[in-house]
Amino acid sequence: MASAPAAISGPLILGDKSPGQVTDDVCSALERGPARSWWIAIAISSSMLLLGLITVAYQVLTGIGTWGLNNTVGWAFDITNFVFWIGIGHAGTLISAVLFLFRQKWRTSVNRAAEAMTIFAVICAGIFPLIHMGRPWLAHWMAPYPNTRGPLWINFRSPLVWDFFAISTYFTISLMFWYVGLIPDMATMRDRLTGGWRKKAANFLSLGWNGSFRTWFHYETVYLLLAGLATPLVVSVHTIVSWDFATSVIPGWHTTILPPYFVAGAIFSGMSMVLTLMLIARKTMGLEDYLTKRHVGAMCKLLIATGGMVAIAYATEFVAAMYSNNDYEQFAFINRAKGPLCWSYWIMVSCNVLTPQILWFKWARSNMVVVFVVSILINIGMWFERFVIIVTSLHRDYLPSNWTGYAPTSIEIATLVGSFGLFLTLFLLFCRFVPVIAIAEVKGVLSHGRKSHE
Amino acid sequence: MAESRMSNANQRFLLGVFEREEDILAATNEARRRGLDIADVYTPYAVHGLDAAMGLRPSRLPWVCFALGLAGASFKVWFEFWTSAADWPINVGGKPWNSLPAFVPVTFEVMVLFAALSTVAAFLVGRGLLPGRRAKLAYPGVTDNQFALVIEETNATFDFDEVSAMLETFGVTHIEERVDQESL
Amino acid sequence: MGTNAAPLLTYRDGTLRLSGAAVSVTRTGRTHELACTQDYHNIEVPEALTVPGMNRRRPLIGETSLASYKKNGTLDHHGHGGHHDLGELWPEDHQYNGHHWGMAVDLTACTGCSACVVACQVENNVPVVGRDEVRRKRIMHWLRIDRYYCDNHGEVDVAHQPMMCHHCDHAPCETVCPVLATVHSEEGLNQQTYNRCVGTRYCANNCPYKVRRFNWFEYAREDTLANMMLNPDVTVRSRGVMEKCSFCVQRIEEVRVEAKREGRPIADGDVLPACQQSCPARAIVFGDMNDPESAVSKLIAGGRHYRLLEETNVRPSVGYLGLVRNRQDDEDRTHHG
Repeated sequence: MASAPAAISGPLILGDKSPGQVTDDVCSALERGPARSWWIAIAISSSMLLLGLITVAYQVLTGIGTWGLNNTVGWAFDITNFVFWIGIGHAGTLISAVLFLFRQKWRTSVNRAAEAMTIFAVICAGIFPLIHMGRPWLAHWMAPYPNTRGPLWINFRSPLVWDFFAISTYFTISLMFWYVGLIPDMATMRDRLTGGWRKKAANFLSLGWNGSFRTWFHYETVYLLLAGLATPLVVSVHTIVSWDFATSVIPGWHTTILPPYFVAGAIFSGMSMVLTLMLIARKTMGLEDYLTKRHVGAMCKLLIATGGMVAIAYATEFVAAMYSNNDYEQFAFINRAKGPLCWSYWIMVSCNVLTPQILWFKWARSNMVVVFVVSILINIGMWFERFVIIVTSLHRDYLPSNWTGYAPTSIEIATLVGSFGLFLTLFLLFCRFVPVIAIAEVKGVLSHGRKSHE
Repeated sequence: MAESRMSNANQRFLLGVFEREEDILAATNEARRRGLDIADVYTPYAVHGLDAAMGLRPSRLPWVCFALGLAGASFKVWFEFWTSAADWPINVGGKPWNSLPAFVPVTFEVMVLFAALSTVAAFLVGRGLLPGRRAKLAYPGVTDNQFALVIEETNATFDFDEVSAMLETFGVTHIEERVDQESL
Repeated sequence: MGTNAAPLLTYRDGTLRLSGAAVSVTRTGRTHELACTQDYHNIEVPEALTVPGMNRRRPLIGETSLASYKKNGTLDHHGHGGHHDLGELWPEDHQYNGHHWGMAVDLTACTGCSACVVACQVENNVPVVGRDEVRRKRIMHWLRIDRYYCDNHGEVDVAHQPMMCHHCDHAPCETVCPVLATVHSEEGLNQQTYNRCVGTRYCANNCPYKVRRFNWFEYAREDTLANMMLNPDVTVRSRGVMEKCSFCVQRIEEVRVEAKREGRPIADGDVLPACQQSCPARAIVFGDMNDPESAVSKLIAGGRHYRLLEETNVRPSVGYLGLVRNRQDDEDRTHHG
């Protein structure tokens, strides 16, 4: 048991709850009608989603020309958003799989929501490679299927094909992991409800779960195996995403540091998003007993650690470029810090390197307003990190004759807003219809009914 | 995988219900020590230590995971080689026909996909968890806050009163005898 | 541009005069962004963006002075100083046993007249995209002329560098295409398959020369009369696909069919890409690099030949013949940059 003694860190779940109370607390929130704040939130988020849908429809009907791209800058907002959302997703897997393997029991309160966040973030991420294509209606050509064109297969040497496999595998595994975790809770919901469509749905989704320990025993094995598979998977996914850039010949992209840099950055950005959502959820859904300051504190420490890794990556990248004695490479990095798009670089550095340093202080970690502001700033900073890597490397490459600028159009900004709308809408629906706390797992870490308390 | 002990319709079972994790653990341990035949235990969450108390053998699911993962990876590396170098070899950027290093990432992803899908499928099918299946609850509340120990009355020497008395010492809240598994 | 200039004409002494009209210039306070397909570029990176020890001048133009060239027969101002064959990490599975098409462009001969650009546009049905798209840097030209200006002791040095697809043997664009829409032919051509392209633009991003062109919109071809001008031998590309210089593959195929019909091999000079055909200075030479007697092979073997961005090891099939400057004082000056 890796958890610190209760005397030092306090209990994982406050209020000395019994298993029955946990069921009540989590399920009654779903069985009550939605609160007014929920309606307001979903109205806003679905409006954002609608805006995004309209702009995507317009862009697909008219052409990629509606974006601000040009001959030199072929990717900008699209792939920035893609990498950003994939990174957000990684924290969910980290919490559900990596922390599970490390027996970090505090994860039980947040893992359901974090895994949901992963799935929704991967959905948002997956949209961008699709709509960034010139002819998205031919996206199925990415898949190797027998066809009448030869058969003409696909290019397994292309990092985009690796991406396609990585993202679809990641989505499938995350969804399965989430669903396997949900089965016992669906059974709990099914047995509480007396009727209605919710009971029918819970009945269907709980697969006849009856709490048999023989099943629980195999279930634990499956969960462990999935966690063991998801952990290298999450590392591989962002590594592969970084290879989109690292295997290219463009100065600023062509660096071997990108895989660890991207993985650390992904966890950093994802953790800050988990914190943002968690702070909102604990406030608006009255889950302060489950999402305690201890959880927030642990997440803040993870932010300091991953933020430090990201800072080291920024520094290493610069030093490696200067040490390379390669004019193109040196120029690419000086241009990031001092060139026409230097503002994006300095937003990145100040949000990602300077901001998290405040979390070294305990007063800051226990002040929810400070933590919330920090988490938002890191979200912004990490978005700009991807923007810096993609756009500043492209806009000043080998031949000065190709040098251009880049500015997003309203369509691109609306599409980004729309992706947030999609994410928030899915998350709000999740909060209404699925137990936001993994009931069965939380029951397993209660101090109630145990001989030796933690 | 499922040891279908509860399929014999003529069997008699003793059902003891508990409300605390430590009680069910102790009762199960004691039942096993006495050589009673534990049909199953129903719990709202995965109680740690209960597998040892019941004397369960390790799950064989890791073997499914390993074998299918290996099969997926082997298939994929063959498929990538076949499509790139054999079925329709195309010169892509001067790279060799057999670009094995470039085939590694997709091979890894497919390995994980095969391993995970097959493990979950084997688990669900093996434990009979299928969409829409009607749940047979041993006792109301075993998915909420009740813990139920089901002991099979294997032979004539089974002494109902003695076992009940044993369960009483662990704070059993309800004891019941059932004739076959359909009523469980 | 786009404004009627007729009021500036004057009619004096029985002729229409283009000059001499009395005009006055006043400041309007407004700015107007010119839509320019060919900008002026500085070959040196801005001083503010350098670090000590870094060459400001990009080694893109091979240069020498006439005196030096007469003495050495090679280029002396050429960033990476000749070809370094570092060998390969992987087996060389792709031999070019038949033709291996290549091109050499003489920077000394090129005057930057842009005849090749126009010829290419006409030959290959390259869309005219209009002012707004030019301002957005979405010019579709398959062949452009890069013009580099450089300060040389108070004088301006200029170099014109025609830039088209380099048909690299180790093409970075091909490796990254997920759907095999751009692949290499057995004759060393980098081929773009329009109907397979899904438009990820990854190839364009990964092209060190940035010669790939994307169809951002369905570029209008509503004028049926103008459509009569389209070359029937070349596909008209639709929205969302990538396109680029094909080495006038339609002309190569035409010559191949003709030669086969006549039962003879393709002779050097039979295949004339549109750019070569229209170049008044004969600065562009296309041919088979596998034929040691071809004009292009002889140019490659000569001392002025270099390949652009050779250090990236993309192995381009296009090479340049360096600029020989005939200046009195060049012998006294050492090159800088």
